[in-house]
Amino acid sequence: MDIFLQQMVNGLTIGSLYALVALGYTMVYGVMRLINFAHGDLVAFSAFIGLSVYAQIFGESVTSLIAVITVFVFTAAIVAFVGVLLERLAYRPLRTAPRLSAVVSALGAGLVIQNSIMLIWGPNMKIFPSDLFPSTIWEIGGIVITFTQVMILGLSSVLMVGLYFFIHQTKIGTAIRAVAIDQDAAKLMGINVGRIIMIIFIIGSTLGAVAGLFIGTYYRGVTFDMGWMYGLNAFVAAIMGGIGNIPGAMLGGLLLGLFNAMITGYISTQWAETFTFVLLIVILVFRPTGILGETVAEKV
Amino acid sequence: MKKMFPKLTASLAVCSVLVSASIAADVIKIGVQAPITGQYANEGQSIDNGVKLIVDQYNAKGGVLGKKIEVVTCDDQGTAQQAAICAKKLVNEGVKAVIGSYTSGATEAAQTTYNRAGVLQTSDGTSDSLIAHKYWTFFRNSFPNSAEADYTAKYFVDGKQYKKIVILSDYSSYSTDLADATIKALKAKNANIIYEGKIKSGSQNFTATLTKIKSMDPDVIYFSGYYTDGGLLRAQQIQLGIKADFVGGDSNDNPDYMKLAGDSAKGTLLINVPTPDLLPYDIAKTFLVDYKAKFNMMPASIWSLMNVDGLRAILHTMEQTKSEDTKVIAENLHKLKDFPGITGPVTFREDGERIGGGYMTYEVQADKSYKIVYQ
Repeated sequence: MDIFLQQMVNGLTIGSLYALVALGYTMVYGVMRLINFAHGDLVAFSAFIGLSVYAQIFGESVTSLIAVITVFVFTAAIVAFVGVLLERLAYRPLRTAPRLSAVVSALGAGLVIQNSIMLIWGPNMKIFPSDLFPSTIWEIGGIVITFTQVMILGLSSVLMVGLYFFIHQTKIGTAIRAVAIDQDAAKLMGINVGRIIMIIFIIGSTLGAVAGLFIGTYYRGVTFDMGWMYGLNAFVAAIMGGIGNIPGAMLGGLLLGLFNAMITGYISTQWAETFTFVLLIVILVFRPTGILGETVAEKV
Repeated sequence: MKKMFPKLTASLAVCSVLVSASIAADVIKIGVQAPITGQYANEGQSIDNGVKLIVDQYNAKGGVLGKKIEVVTCDDQGTAQQAAICAKKLVNEGVKAVIGSYTSGATEAAQTTYNRAGVLQTSDGTSDSLIAHKYWTFFRNSFPNSAEADYTAKYFVDGKQYKKIVILSDYSSYSTDLADATIKALKAKNANIIYEGKIKSGSQNFTATLTKIKSMDPDVIYFSGYYTDGGLLRAQQIQLGIKADFVGGDSNDNPDYMKLAGDSAKGTLLINVPTPDLLPYDIAKTFLVDYKAKFNMMPASIWSLMNVDGLRAILHTMEQTKSEDTKVIAENLHKLKDFPGITGPVTFREDGERIGGGYMTYEVQADKSYKIVYQ
């Protein structure tokens, strides 16, 4: 039983990382009907930015709460800016073009980001300092939970709940939902669609940046091409939950993480990825809108 | 004047042909096929540096057979696809010999092309399958996996007397081959292997596999893959509170392993031939001093030095036979006996296998230094 619970903890940790990344996919899709394939590489980019910010401001030795918060804030700001820039350069000129052009542009933008990371930071694996977070470990009834895991689970839950309330309780959130339903009607009601899209990219990139930093602090080693793997998994999570649906992305992410951990733990590592895509196909066949796709009438 | 021009251009053309021909003949090209970028970039760059250092030293003395040596490097990224591209490129460049690659998979993917073109190849790849083709062009400058597997089995059964053994590998040809060889050697000694598993290289998250292993309460987890995954495996093992020893195969012996594992690196057991700074030979000491002076760092691992030995053996044989003909060189390389190498005496068997072994087990100390615990 404790093995099962341990797998749950492992699965939820990686699942909340997927969920954070999936939110970026789902929000952009909800508003623009565009799969932002560059999002995964933006996540990888944030991990490298985080490393450089840490090295620049604090050298390599200082570890304190303030240091960690500063790194997170700086990184999120830089990555959000790059996200907005990405929208301006790669997607805005194609807003009226056929949808395929925008998808191709997204794939291209992803390659540009990935290769830029390689050229700036080099092709070698870069390693996060090991003492960024305390290495405290709790053992409860045979289940091991680390401080970093609690951080990841806690902070991503807070971010996801916060986002849900932001979308549903605030004026900007209402405007985002309006644009998601009908851009032209929203325009007629006096909503600045360009600004809403910018806000979407800022939020999506910020969540991606947090995910990237979590990946760095949890796994320590980051490579320039890791964005593809996280992007693909998060994309599957977004589709599973119902793309364009925010609670769906969270649910999809967590479920995918759990599913992966259980398959790896009880069947085999070899088959984890295969089963992920079998699951995706099953969901698309029997519930094409994803798990939460139909119950919520509006997208986003 | 009008009549002069054709003659002048003609003679100029003849001259330029002669000049370019003489330049071409004045150079002996040596290829380097290594992962300059990608996951194993650290090792690949070290191979390239080592080769360039030796070539510079040779060129300073006037080259080999009175000709300068030129290095042509091709980045195979440690993958089979890129390796096949590199092989064609280097053959087209007209290299006499190729040093590399680091991974067995990339080496194997290029072997046939070099063999068809009659280009010598020497690699530190340790898969036993590398010499299975019996190519006359191929020479292994390291020791095969089966030699390491026999040592590991002896250490586990006779030295440590482990009762419950877990074997992990990744999907690369080297890692699978080493794991299989180790399992075979352990079974021959009647050891109890409780789990044989695979992890996906680069997937970062190994907690699910490790949690499963934890429930089996093993004495030892042996990992036959590369340092990038080994470091993370070790860190996550300690995080999950698995008490078993962690033993890494030779490819875990890399500075990045220590960085990835962090504090968890302490107590890790690594099996490898001696590390560069433990090599007892004078020639090794001189080489390391020169290397440090030129590149301002130490070589990534002993593997780059083995590649350097491969190059030195080839250049030595070229001088000895006074021939550039790869057939003649290969014939004499097979006859080479105890050529003084940086990593010890170099002797090639008829099938291109380097004879020897000399593995050791190191325990990583708190300050990341090594202590020899079994020989």
